[in-house]
Amino acid sequence: MKQTKCHFGVYSVALYNMISFVKAAVGGLTGTCRAHGHQLAPLQSCLKVCAAGLKTYQITPDYSNVVLPEKPKLKFLNKVPNLKKAKKESKKLRDIQGPARAANSFTSGQYAIVALGGGYLHWGHLEMMRLTINRKIDARTTFARWRINAPYKPITRKGLGQRMGGGKGAIDHYVTPVRYGRLIVELGGKVELGEIEHILTEVAKKLPFPAKVMSREGLEEMQRKQKEMEENNLNPWTFKRIVEGNMLGIRKVLSPFDLRNHGRFTGKFHFPERV
Amino acid sequence: MTYFLLKMTATLCATLLRSQGWLPLIQSVRHGSKAVTRHKKPVHILKQKLLAVTQYIPPGRAVAPGAYPSKIKHVLEDNGFTLLLKKDLKKVFEECKMIAVVQKNGSSAEEMVVLKHRLFKHGIRVKFFPNQVTRSFLSDSVYCNMAPLFIGPTVLFVSKEPKVKEMLSALKASPQMTLLGACIDNTLLSAQGIVGYSKLPSVTVIQGELVSGLTMLTSCTASMLQRHPAHLSALLQQYIKQQSLGDGVEAAPKAEEAT
Repeated sequence: MKQTKCHFGVYSVALYNMISFVKAAVGGLTGTCRAHGHQLAPLQSCLKVCAAGLKTYQITPDYSNVVLPEKPKLKFLNKVPNLKKAKKESKKLRDIQGPARAANSFTSGQYAIVALGGGYLHWGHLEMMRLTINRKIDARTTFARWRINAPYKPITRKGLGQRMGGGKGAIDHYVTPVRYGRLIVELGGKVELGEIEHILTEVAKKLPFPAKVMSREGLEEMQRKQKEMEENNLNPWTFKRIVEGNMLGIRKVLSPFDLRNHGRFTGKFHFPERV
Repeated sequence: MTYFLLKMTATLCATLLRSQGWLPLIQSVRHGSKAVTRHKKPVHILKQKLLAVTQYIPPGRAVAPGAYPSKIKHVLEDNGFTLLLKKDLKKVFEECKMIAVVQKNGSSAEEMVVLKHRLFKHGIRVKFFPNQVTRSFLSDSVYCNMAPLFIGPTVLFVSKEPKVKEMLSALKASPQMTLLGACIDNTLLSAQGIVGYSKLPSVTVIQGELVSGLTMLTSCTASMLQRHPAHLSALLQQYIKQQSLGDGVEAAPKAEEAT
Protein backbone atom coordinates (compact mmCIF):
# COMPACT_ATOMS: atom_id res chain seq x y z
CA MET A 1 0.00 0.00 0.00
CA LYS A 2 2.75 2.37 1.02
CA GLN A 3 4.70 1.58 -2.10
CA THR A 4 1.76 2.34 -4.40
CA LYS A 5 1.16 5.64 -2.69
CA CYS A 6 4.77 6.60 -3.17
CA HIS A 7 4.54 5.56 -6.77
CA PHE A 8 1.51 7.73 -7.30
CA GLY A 9 3.31 10.72 -5.79
CA VAL A 10 6.23 10.34 -8.16
CA TYR A 11 3.88 10.03 -11.08
CA SER A 12 2.01 13.20 -10.13
CA VAL A 13 5.27 15.17 -9.87
CA ALA A 14 6.27 13.95 -13.30
CA LEU A 15 2.90 14.91 -14.72
CA TYR A 16 3.22 18.37 -13.18
CA ASN A 17 6.61 18.83 -14.82
CA MET A 18 5.19 17.79 -18.14
CA ILE A 19 2.33 20.24 -17.81
CA SER A 20 4.69 23.10 -17.09
CA PHE A 21 6.80 22.11 -20.08
CA VAL A 22 3.73 22.08 -22.29
CA LYS A 23 2.75 25.50 -20.95
CA ALA A 24 6.13 26.87 -21.97
CA ALA A 25 5.93 25.19 -25.33
CA VAL A 26 2.47 26.41 -26.27
CA GLY A 27 3.75 29.87 -27.27
CA GLY A 28 6.76 29.16 -29.43
CA LEU A 29 6.87 25.50 -30.29
CA THR A 30 3.53 24.90 -31.90
CA GLY A 31 5.29 23.64 -35.00
CA THR A 32 7.19 20.95 -33.12
CA CYS A 33 4.04 20.01 -31.27
CA ARG A 34 2.37 19.46 -34.60
CA ALA A 35 5.33 17.40 -35.78
CA HIS A 36 5.24 15.15 -32.72
CA GLY A 37 1.50 15.14 -32.42
CA HIS A 38 1.19 11.41 -31.92
CA GLN A 39 3.58 11.55 -28.95
CA LEU A 40 1.71 14.36 -27.23
CA ALA A 41 -1.70 12.86 -27.86
CA PRO A 42 -2.29 11.71 -24.27
CA LEU A 43 -1.40 15.23 -23.07
CA GLN A 44 -4.09 16.93 -25.14
CA SER A 45 -6.49 16.97 -22.21
CA CYS A 46 -3.85 18.65 -20.03
CA LEU A 47 -3.23 21.20 -22.76
CA LYS A 48 -6.88 22.14 -22.82
CA VAL A 49 -6.82 22.75 -19.09
CA CYS A 50 -3.72 24.94 -19.33
CA ALA A 51 -4.91 27.08 -22.20
CA ALA A 52 -8.40 27.71 -20.83
CA GLY A 53 -9.33 31.36 -21.34
CA LEU A 54 -5.91 32.41 -22.55
CA LYS A 55 -6.89 34.17 -25.76
CA THR A 56 -9.98 35.08 -27.67
CA TYR A 57 -9.41 35.59 -31.37
CA GLN A 58 -11.06 38.37 -33.34
CA ILE A 59 -13.58 37.51 -35.99
CA THR A 60 -11.93 37.57 -39.40
CA PRO A 61 -13.29 40.16 -41.85
CA ASP A 62 -15.91 39.00 -44.29
CA TYR A 63 -14.68 38.99 -47.87
CA SER A 64 -17.59 37.06 -49.33
CA ASN A 65 -18.75 39.94 -51.52
CA VAL A 66 -15.30 40.84 -52.87
CA VAL A 67 -14.91 40.11 -56.57
CA LEU A 68 -11.38 40.03 -57.93
CA PRO A 69 -10.95 41.26 -61.51
CA GLU A 70 -9.40 39.06 -64.15
CA LYS A 71 -6.21 41.08 -64.35
CA PRO A 72 -5.37 42.13 -60.81
CA LYS A 73 -2.06 43.85 -61.56
CA LEU A 74 -1.32 47.39 -62.68
CA LYS A 75 -1.40 47.93 -66.40
CA PHE A 76 1.63 49.21 -68.33
CA LEU A 77 1.24 52.88 -69.20
CA ASN A 78 2.64 54.33 -72.42
CA LYS A 79 5.55 56.67 -72.12
CA VAL A 80 4.39 58.74 -75.09
CA PRO A 81 0.76 59.20 -76.16
CA ASN A 82 -0.18 57.85 -79.55
CA LEU A 83 -0.89 61.05 -81.43
CA LYS A 84 -0.85 61.77 -85.11
CA LYS A 85 0.71 65.14 -84.62
CA ALA A 86 2.34 66.10 -81.35
CA LYS A 87 1.70 69.75 -80.52
CA LYS A 88 3.68 71.86 -78.13
CA GLU A 89 1.64 73.32 -75.30
CA SER A 90 2.12 76.20 -72.92
CA LYS A 91 2.95 75.46 -69.29
CA LYS A 92 -0.65 75.68 -68.03
CA LEU A 93 0.25 75.46 -64.37
CA ARG A 94 -3.45 75.61 -63.55
CA ASP A 95 -3.67 71.87 -64.03
CA ILE A 96 -1.86 71.23 -60.73
CA GLN A 97 -3.41 74.07 -58.73
CA GLY A 98 -6.34 73.71 -56.37
CA PRO A 99 -8.31 70.61 -55.45
CA ALA A 100 -8.87 67.67 -57.79
CA ARG A 101 -12.17 67.59 -59.60
CA ALA A 102 -11.82 64.04 -60.90
CA ALA A 103 -10.84 60.74 -59.30
CA ASN A 104 -11.08 62.14 -55.77
CA SER A 105 -13.16 59.28 -54.38
CA PHE A 106 -12.97 55.50 -54.31
CA THR A 107 -14.55 53.33 -56.99
CA SER A 108 -13.85 49.62 -56.58
CA GLY A 109 -10.89 49.42 -54.22
CA GLN A 110 -10.43 49.91 -50.50
CA TYR A 111 -7.03 51.53 -50.11
CA ALA A 112 -5.28 54.18 -52.15
CA ILE A 113 -2.41 56.60 -52.39
CA VAL A 114 -3.90 60.08 -52.11
CA ALA A 115 -2.05 63.19 -53.31
CA LEU A 116 -1.87 65.91 -50.66
CA GLY A 117 -0.47 68.50 -53.06
CA GLY A 118 -0.20 69.17 -56.76
CA GLY A 119 2.57 67.97 -59.02
CA TYR A 120 3.60 66.28 -62.22
CA LEU A 121 4.18 62.55 -62.50
CA HIS A 122 6.74 61.36 -65.05
CA TRP A 123 6.67 58.04 -66.77
CA GLY A 124 9.53 57.02 -64.47
CA HIS A 125 7.35 57.52 -61.41
CA LEU A 126 4.62 55.45 -62.95
CA GLU A 127 7.02 52.63 -63.80
CA MET A 128 8.42 52.71 -60.29
CA MET A 129 4.94 52.42 -58.82
CA ARG A 130 3.88 49.73 -61.23
CA LEU A 131 6.92 47.56 -60.70
CA THR A 132 6.97 47.91 -56.91
CA ILE A 133 3.31 47.27 -56.40
CA ASN A 134 3.05 44.43 -58.92
CA ARG A 135 6.04 42.71 -57.41
CA LYS A 136 4.93 42.98 -53.82
CA ILE A 137 1.18 42.40 -53.81
CA ASP A 138 -0.28 38.93 -53.71
CA ALA A 139 -2.19 38.74 -56.99
CA ARG A 140 -4.45 35.95 -55.74
CA THR A 141 -5.96 38.12 -53.03
CA THR A 142 -5.26 41.70 -54.06
CA PHE A 143 -5.86 43.83 -57.10
CA ALA A 144 -4.56 47.25 -58.07
CA ARG A 145 -5.96 49.91 -60.40
CA TRP A 146 -4.59 53.12 -61.84
CA ARG A 147 -6.61 56.22 -61.09
CA ILE A 148 -4.46 58.47 -63.30
CA ASN A 149 -4.00 58.62 -67.04
CA ALA A 150 -0.84 57.86 -68.93
CA PRO A 151 1.41 60.93 -69.42
CA TYR A 152 -0.29 63.26 -71.88
CA LYS A 153 1.06 66.72 -71.23
CA PRO A 154 4.10 67.56 -73.41
CA ILE A 155 7.07 69.27 -71.79
CA THR A 156 9.53 70.99 -74.12
CA ARG A 157 13.28 71.42 -73.64
CA LYS A 158 15.96 73.02 -75.65
CA GLY A 159 18.90 70.90 -76.60
CA LEU A 160 22.13 70.99 -74.63
CA GLY A 161 24.53 73.75 -75.54
CA GLN A 162 22.00 75.61 -77.60
CA ARG A 163 21.89 79.37 -77.59
CA MET A 164 18.78 81.10 -76.32
CA GLY A 165 16.22 82.24 -78.85
CA GLY A 166 15.16 80.57 -82.01
CA GLY A 167 11.71 79.66 -80.77
CA LYS A 168 10.29 77.00 -78.49
CA GLY A 169 12.23 73.80 -78.00
CA ALA A 170 11.24 70.32 -79.05
CA ILE A 171 9.00 68.05 -76.96
CA ASP A 172 11.21 66.27 -74.45
CA HIS A 173 8.82 64.11 -72.48
CA TYR A 174 5.24 63.81 -71.30
CA VAL A 175 3.86 64.11 -67.77
CA THR A 176 0.61 63.54 -65.90
CA PRO A 177 -0.59 66.50 -63.85
CA VAL A 178 -2.03 65.62 -60.43
CA ARG A 179 -4.04 67.91 -58.16
CA TYR A 180 -4.55 67.83 -54.39
CA GLY A 181 -6.87 65.03 -53.25
CA ARG A 182 -6.52 62.84 -56.31
CA LEU A 183 -6.18 59.10 -55.87
CA ILE A 184 -3.13 57.77 -57.72
CA VAL A 185 -3.44 54.02 -57.30
CA GLU A 186 -6.30 52.08 -55.81
CA LEU A 187 -5.92 48.69 -54.17
CA GLY A 188 -8.54 46.26 -53.02
CA GLY A 189 -9.42 42.61 -52.57
CA LYS A 190 -9.26 40.23 -49.69
CA VAL A 191 -6.65 42.16 -47.70
CA GLU A 192 -6.52 44.51 -44.77
CA LEU A 193 -4.73 47.83 -44.67
CA GLY A 194 -1.95 46.50 -42.48
CA GLU A 195 -0.91 43.96 -45.10
CA ILE A 196 -0.29 46.43 -47.91
CA GLU A 197 0.38 49.68 -46.08
CA HIS A 198 4.14 49.26 -46.12
CA ILE A 199 4.17 48.75 -49.90
CA LEU A 200 2.07 51.83 -50.54
CA THR A 201 3.98 54.04 -48.10
CA GLU A 202 7.22 53.00 -49.71
CA VAL A 203 5.83 54.13 -53.06
CA ALA A 204 4.15 57.26 -51.73
CA LYS A 205 7.44 58.51 -50.28
CA LYS A 206 9.02 58.60 -53.74
CA LEU A 207 6.34 60.70 -55.42
CA PRO A 208 7.10 64.33 -56.32
CA PHE A 209 4.35 65.68 -54.04
CA PRO A 210 3.21 64.88 -50.48
CA ALA A 211 1.13 61.73 -50.64
CA LYS A 212 -0.50 59.49 -48.06
CA VAL A 213 -1.92 56.00 -47.91
CA MET A 214 -5.57 56.06 -47.01
CA SER A 215 -8.39 53.62 -46.70
CA ARG A 216 -11.93 54.35 -47.78
CA GLU A 217 -12.87 55.15 -44.17
CA GLY A 218 -9.75 57.24 -43.67
CA LEU A 219 -10.59 59.48 -46.60
CA GLU A 220 -14.16 59.88 -45.41
CA GLU A 221 -12.86 60.71 -41.95
CA MET A 222 -10.56 63.37 -43.40
CA GLN A 223 -13.39 64.97 -45.35
CA ARG A 224 -15.65 64.84 -42.31
CA LYS A 225 -12.99 66.50 -40.18
CA GLN A 226 -12.60 69.29 -42.73
CA LYS A 227 -16.34 69.85 -42.72
CA GLU A 228 -16.44 69.82 -38.94
CA MET A 229 -13.67 72.40 -38.81
CA GLU A 230 -15.67 74.65 -41.12
CA GLU A 231 -18.77 74.31 -38.99
CA ASN A 232 -17.13 74.66 -35.58
CA ASN A 233 -14.83 77.56 -36.37
CA LEU A 234 -14.88 80.03 -33.50
CA ASN A 235 -13.42 82.78 -35.68
CA PRO A 236 -16.32 84.82 -37.02
CA TRP A 237 -14.11 86.39 -39.69
CA THR A 238 -13.74 83.72 -42.32
CA PHE A 239 -11.87 84.16 -45.59
CA LYS A 240 -15.04 83.48 -47.53
CA ARG A 241 -17.07 86.12 -45.71
CA ILE A 242 -14.46 88.85 -46.08
CA VAL A 243 -13.76 88.10 -49.71
CA GLU A 244 -17.38 87.79 -50.76
CA GLY A 245 -18.16 91.10 -49.09
CA ASN A 246 -15.01 92.64 -50.63
CA MET A 247 -14.29 94.25 -47.26
CA LEU A 248 -11.80 97.14 -47.42
CA GLY A 249 -11.44 96.44 -51.14
CA ILE A 250 -9.43 93.27 -50.46
CA ARG A 251 -10.30 91.82 -53.86
CA LYS A 252 -7.65 94.15 -55.25
CA VAL A 253 -4.94 91.76 -54.10
CA LEU A 254 -6.83 88.48 -54.59
CA SER A 255 -7.26 86.32 -57.64
CA PRO A 256 -10.27 84.30 -58.82
CA PHE A 257 -8.32 81.29 -57.60
CA ASP A 258 -8.57 82.62 -54.03
CA LEU A 259 -12.26 83.32 -54.52
CA ARG A 260 -12.81 79.69 -55.39
CA ASN A 261 -10.58 78.10 -52.76
CA HIS A 262 -10.95 80.54 -49.85
CA GLY A 263 -7.26 80.72 -49.08
CA ARG A 264 -6.81 76.99 -48.60
CA PHE A 265 -4.39 76.78 -51.52
CA THR A 266 -1.51 78.75 -52.91
CA GLY A 267 -0.69 77.27 -56.27
CA LYS A 268 -0.12 73.57 -55.84
CA PHE A 269 0.31 73.81 -52.08
CA HIS A 270 -2.50 73.00 -49.70
CA PHE A 271 -2.90 74.25 -46.13
CA PRO A 272 -4.64 71.55 -44.13
CA GLU A 273 -5.13 73.74 -41.07
CA ARG A 274 -7.09 76.45 -42.90
CA VAL A 275 -10.83 76.37 -43.48
CA MET B 1 6.26 138.51 -87.92
CA THR B 2 6.84 134.80 -88.40
CA TYR B 3 9.27 134.82 -85.50
CA PHE B 4 6.63 136.37 -83.27
CA LEU B 5 4.07 133.72 -84.24
CA LEU B 6 6.51 130.92 -83.53
CA LYS B 7 7.24 132.36 -80.14
CA MET B 8 3.53 132.54 -79.35
CA THR B 9 2.88 128.92 -80.25
CA ALA B 10 5.89 127.80 -78.19
CA THR B 11 4.60 129.56 -75.08
CA LEU B 12 1.05 128.21 -75.65
CA CYS B 13 2.36 124.66 -75.92
CA ALA B 14 4.43 125.07 -72.78
CA THR B 15 1.48 126.29 -70.73
CA LEU B 16 -0.81 123.55 -72.00
CA LEU B 17 1.68 120.81 -71.20
CA ARG B 18 2.33 122.20 -67.75
CA SER B 19 -1.39 122.32 -66.89
CA GLN B 20 -2.11 118.72 -67.98
CA GLY B 21 0.98 117.12 -66.46
CA TRP B 22 3.23 114.75 -68.33
CA LEU B 23 2.43 111.08 -68.60
CA PRO B 24 4.83 108.48 -70.00
CA LEU B 25 3.49 107.10 -73.24
CA ILE B 26 4.73 103.52 -72.71
CA GLN B 27 4.65 101.78 -69.34
CA SER B 28 6.97 98.80 -69.16
CA VAL B 29 5.45 96.03 -66.91
CA ARG B 30 7.21 92.73 -66.47
CA HIS B 31 5.04 89.63 -66.62
CA GLY B 32 7.69 86.96 -66.73
CA SER B 33 9.00 84.50 -64.13
CA LYS B 34 5.69 83.00 -63.10
CA ALA B 35 6.35 79.41 -63.92
CA VAL B 36 8.23 78.48 -60.78
CA THR B 37 6.23 76.02 -58.73
CA ARG B 38 8.94 74.82 -56.40
CA HIS B 39 8.39 77.40 -53.72
CA LYS B 40 5.51 79.49 -52.51
CA LYS B 41 5.16 82.84 -54.16
CA PRO B 42 5.67 85.98 -52.09
CA VAL B 43 2.30 87.04 -50.72
CA HIS B 44 0.94 90.58 -50.80
CA ILE B 45 0.99 92.21 -47.38
CA LEU B 46 -2.77 92.77 -47.41
CA LYS B 47 -3.36 89.14 -48.25
CA GLN B 48 -0.95 88.14 -45.49
CA LYS B 49 -2.98 90.18 -43.04
CA LEU B 50 -6.19 88.67 -44.33
CA LEU B 51 -4.82 85.17 -43.90
CA ALA B 52 -3.64 85.99 -40.39
CA VAL B 53 -7.02 87.39 -39.42
CA THR B 54 -9.03 84.52 -40.81
CA GLN B 55 -7.15 81.68 -39.17
CA TYR B 56 -9.11 78.74 -37.87
CA ILE B 57 -9.85 78.86 -34.15
CA PRO B 58 -10.85 75.48 -32.76
CA PRO B 59 -13.72 75.28 -30.32
CA GLY B 60 -12.75 75.23 -26.67
CA ARG B 61 -12.34 72.07 -24.73
CA ALA B 62 -15.52 70.21 -24.16
CA VAL B 63 -16.89 70.13 -20.64
CA ALA B 64 -15.69 67.07 -18.78
CA PRO B 65 -18.34 64.39 -18.47
CA GLY B 66 -19.97 64.54 -15.07
CA ALA B 67 -18.97 68.16 -14.43
CA TYR B 68 -22.61 69.18 -14.55
CA PRO B 69 -25.57 67.06 -13.51
CA SER B 70 -27.27 65.55 -16.49
CA LYS B 71 -30.49 67.17 -17.56
CA ILE B 72 -32.11 63.88 -18.36
CA LYS B 73 -32.92 62.11 -15.14
CA HIS B 74 -32.06 58.47 -15.17
CA VAL B 75 -35.13 56.44 -14.39
CA LEU B 76 -33.89 53.52 -12.37
CA GLU B 77 -35.47 50.30 -13.41
CA ASP B 78 -36.05 48.34 -10.25
CA ASN B 79 -34.92 44.80 -10.63
CA GLY B 80 -35.98 42.05 -8.30
CA PHE B 81 -33.07 42.49 -5.96
CA THR B 82 -33.60 46.21 -5.41
CA LEU B 83 -37.28 45.57 -4.83
CA LEU B 84 -36.37 42.99 -2.21
CA LEU B 85 -33.97 45.42 -0.56
CA LYS B 86 -36.62 48.10 -0.56
CA LYS B 87 -39.09 45.77 1.06
CA ASP B 88 -36.50 44.98 3.68
CA LEU B 89 -35.87 48.68 4.29
CA LYS B 90 -39.56 49.34 4.64
CA LYS B 91 -39.82 46.58 7.20
CA VAL B 92 -36.87 48.03 9.12
CA PHE B 93 -38.38 51.51 9.17
CA GLU B 94 -41.73 50.15 10.29
CA GLU B 95 -40.50 47.86 13.04
CA CYS B 96 -37.56 49.66 14.54
CA LYS B 97 -37.75 52.64 16.81
CA MET B 98 -34.10 53.55 16.53
CA ILE B 99 -32.40 53.86 13.15
CA ALA B 100 -28.95 55.42 13.37
CA VAL B 101 -26.93 56.33 10.28
CA VAL B 102 -23.21 55.78 10.74
CA GLN B 103 -20.43 56.46 8.28
CA LYS B 104 -17.84 53.72 7.94
CA ASN B 105 -14.37 55.14 7.37
CA GLY B 106 -11.96 52.38 6.56
CA SER B 107 -12.60 50.05 9.42
CA SER B 108 -11.36 46.56 8.89
CA ALA B 109 -13.60 43.53 8.78
CA GLU B 110 -12.31 42.32 12.13
CA GLU B 111 -13.17 45.57 13.91
CA MET B 112 -16.54 45.47 12.23
CA VAL B 113 -17.19 41.99 13.53
CA VAL B 114 -16.21 43.04 17.05
CA LEU B 115 -18.47 46.09 16.87
CA LYS B 116 -21.34 44.00 15.54
CA HIS B 117 -20.93 41.58 18.38
CA ARG B 118 -20.84 44.36 20.95
CA LEU B 119 -23.96 45.93 19.52
CA PHE B 120 -25.75 42.62 19.20
CA LYS B 121 -25.39 42.11 22.96
CA HIS B 122 -27.80 45.02 23.40
CA GLY B 123 -30.07 43.86 20.61
CA ILE B 124 -28.81 46.42 18.10
CA ARG B 125 -28.30 45.09 14.61
CA VAL B 126 -26.00 46.40 11.88
CA LYS B 127 -27.52 46.58 8.41
CA PHE B 128 -25.97 47.39 5.07
CA PHE B 129 -28.01 48.81 2.21
CA PRO B 130 -26.80 50.30 -1.06
CA ASN B 131 -27.08 54.09 -0.96
CA GLN B 132 -28.99 54.27 -4.24
CA VAL B 133 -31.64 51.92 -2.96
CA THR B 134 -31.89 53.76 0.34
CA ARG B 135 -32.18 57.14 -1.31
CA SER B 136 -34.80 55.99 -3.77
CA PHE B 137 -36.75 54.47 -0.87
CA LEU B 138 -36.44 57.60 1.28
CA SER B 139 -37.49 59.95 -1.51
CA ASP B 140 -40.92 58.30 -1.57
CA SER B 141 -41.38 57.93 2.18
CA VAL B 142 -41.96 60.40 5.03
CA TYR B 143 -38.32 60.08 6.07
CA CYS B 144 -37.16 61.99 2.99
CA ASN B 145 -35.23 64.47 5.18
CA MET B 146 -32.82 61.68 6.06
CA ALA B 147 -31.69 61.30 2.47
CA PRO B 148 -28.66 63.68 2.68
CA LEU B 149 -27.11 61.45 5.35
CA PHE B 150 -26.61 58.62 2.88
CA ILE B 151 -23.37 59.66 1.21
CA GLY B 152 -20.34 57.44 1.07
CA PRO B 153 -20.07 54.14 2.90
CA THR B 154 -22.95 54.21 5.35
CA VAL B 155 -24.19 51.64 7.81
CA LEU B 156 -27.52 51.45 9.60
CA PHE B 157 -27.69 50.59 13.31
CA VAL B 158 -31.13 49.34 13.96
CA SER B 159 -32.92 48.26 17.12
CA LYS B 160 -36.47 47.77 18.20
CA GLU B 161 -35.93 49.65 21.45
CA PRO B 162 -34.17 53.02 21.49
CA LYS B 163 -30.90 51.99 23.16
CA VAL B 164 -28.90 55.09 22.51
CA LYS B 165 -26.58 54.92 25.49
CA GLU B 166 -25.41 51.43 24.67
CA MET B 167 -24.88 52.34 21.06
CA LEU B 168 -22.82 55.42 21.94
CA SER B 169 -20.67 53.45 24.37
CA ALA B 170 -20.04 50.82 21.72
CA LEU B 171 -19.18 53.48 19.16
CA LYS B 172 -16.69 55.11 21.50
CA ALA B 173 -14.45 52.08 21.18
CA SER B 174 -14.30 52.34 17.37
CA PRO B 175 -13.20 55.79 16.20
CA GLN B 176 -13.53 54.91 12.50
CA MET B 177 -17.29 54.95 12.76
CA THR B 178 -18.83 58.41 12.67
CA LEU B 179 -22.36 58.91 13.83
CA LEU B 180 -24.24 61.14 11.36
CA GLY B 181 -27.77 61.19 12.66
CA ALA B 182 -30.63 59.04 13.69
CA CYS B 183 -34.35 58.62 13.59
CA ILE B 184 -35.50 57.72 17.10
CA ASP B 185 -39.19 57.30 17.86
CA ASN B 186 -40.08 58.98 14.56
CA THR B 187 -37.94 61.99 15.43
CA LEU B 188 -34.96 62.98 13.36
CA LEU B 189 -31.96 63.75 15.55
CA SER B 190 -28.52 65.10 14.73
CA ALA B 191 -25.37 63.64 16.27
CA GLN B 192 -25.48 66.17 19.13
CA GLY B 193 -29.17 65.55 19.53
CA ILE B 194 -28.47 61.88 20.01
CA VAL B 195 -25.92 62.63 22.71
CA GLY B 196 -28.46 64.87 24.43
CA TYR B 197 -31.06 62.15 24.12
CA SER B 198 -28.73 59.62 25.69
CA LYS B 199 -28.28 61.81 28.78
CA LEU B 200 -32.02 61.77 29.44
CA PRO B 201 -33.21 59.14 31.89
CA SER B 202 -35.25 56.35 30.46
CA VAL B 203 -38.97 56.64 29.88
CA THR B 204 -39.88 54.21 32.62
CA VAL B 205 -37.89 56.17 35.21
CA ILE B 206 -39.61 59.41 34.26
CA GLN B 207 -42.97 57.74 34.26
CA GLY B 208 -42.19 56.32 37.71
CA GLU B 209 -41.21 59.76 39.00
CA LEU B 210 -44.42 61.23 37.65
CA VAL B 211 -46.53 58.50 39.15
CA SER B 212 -44.75 58.79 42.48
CA GLY B 213 -45.22 62.53 42.46
CA LEU B 214 -48.89 62.12 41.79
CA THR B 215 -49.40 59.36 44.34
CA MET B 216 -47.46 61.28 47.00
CA LEU B 217 -50.30 63.64 47.76
CA THR B 218 -52.93 60.97 47.98
CA SER B 219 -50.70 58.81 50.16
CA CYS B 220 -50.10 61.78 52.45
CA THR B 221 -53.82 62.36 52.89
CA ALA B 222 -54.38 58.67 53.38
CA SER B 223 -51.71 58.48 56.07
CA MET B 224 -53.15 61.53 57.77
CA LEU B 225 -56.57 60.01 57.77
CA GLN B 226 -55.19 56.97 59.49
CA ARG B 227 -53.90 59.05 62.44
CA HIS B 228 -55.77 59.59 65.66
CA PRO B 229 -58.91 61.76 65.20
CA ALA B 230 -57.84 64.08 68.08
CA HIS B 231 -54.59 64.81 66.29
CA LEU B 232 -56.51 65.50 63.10
CA SER B 233 -58.92 67.86 64.76
CA ALA B 234 -56.01 69.72 66.38
CA LEU B 235 -54.42 70.11 62.99
CA LEU B 236 -57.60 71.36 61.41
CA GLN B 237 -58.09 73.87 64.20
CA GLN B 238 -54.58 75.13 63.70
CA TYR B 239 -55.22 75.39 59.96
CA ILE B 240 -58.39 77.41 60.47
CA LYS B 241 -56.47 79.69 62.83
CA GLN B 242 -53.80 80.31 60.27
CA GLN B 243 -56.42 80.93 57.56
CA SER B 244 -58.11 83.48 59.75
CA LEU B 245 -54.79 85.23 60.29
CA GLY B 246 -54.66 85.61 56.50
CA ASP B 247 -51.33 84.03 55.95
CA GLY B 248 -52.57 80.76 54.55
CA VAL B 249 -49.89 80.54 51.91
CA GLU B 250 -47.10 80.02 54.36
CA ALA B 251 -49.23 78.02 56.69
CA ALA B 252 -49.87 75.17 54.28
CA PRO B 253 -46.27 73.95 54.05
CA LYS B 254 -45.92 74.35 57.78
CA ALA B 255 -48.87 72.13 58.22
CA GLU B 256 -47.30 69.62 56.00
CA GLU B 257 -44.06 69.82 57.90
CA ALA B 258 -45.92 69.25 61.10
CA THR B 259 -47.35 66.05 59.75
